Amino acid sequence: MSTIQEQISDVIEKEPVALFMKGTPQMVMCGNSMRALQALHAAGAPITTVDILPDPRIRQELSAISGWPTIPQVFVKGELLGGADITEELVESGELQRKLDDALGAERSQDVKVVALELS
Amino acid sequence: MAAMEPEAIRVLLEEAFPDADRIEVEDRTGGGDHFQVTVVSPEFDEVSLIDQHRRVNEALAAPFADGSIHELRIKTKGTA
Repeated sequence: MSTIQEQISDVIEKEPVALFMKGTPQMVMCGNSMRALQALHAAGAPITTVDILPDPRIRQELSAISGWPTIPQVFVKGELLGGADITEELVESGELQRKLDDALGAERSQDVKVVALELS
Repeated sequence: MAAMEPEAIRVLLEEAFPDADRIEVEDRTGGGDHFQVTVVSPEFDEVSLIDQHRRVNEALAAPFADGSIHELRIKTKGTA
């Protein structure tokens, strides 16, 4: 089985838009995770979420990879976009929509997917 | 986890961003642990939004680490 760090890196690299959040889209456990999720929805993004709450190591490994201290964290095409504030700001300005249009096309899927990491 | 005065956060930000045009700190809930900060500084010109936020997070790393700040909302801007 791959390590938590490898699984996190895998999600960041392979998913077009990854959202590391507290909870799941069905049960969001933090206001800021909700803000990021809603902003991504508004931008018409496909969203792959990872819940960081099941194990404190997920958050530790994630912040070690990203250098970003807080949750949520949004990645687009393998690159850290930011937390809830930046995501909201870039959606309000239309910049994120343009970025997604360029990266994934205007006819992109808007599916929401939940990835549960395997914890050893 | 003692509540933090907005003024204490302002001091940290002023130390980190001595050239700032504007620094605002708002206690969003009145509980001394949810803050909204605004920093407008020429230092942010030509700096990506994510790196602007990184610098603010770094300036407030200590109160974050000891739990004094539970939630931080950040708004940054250059002056160019």
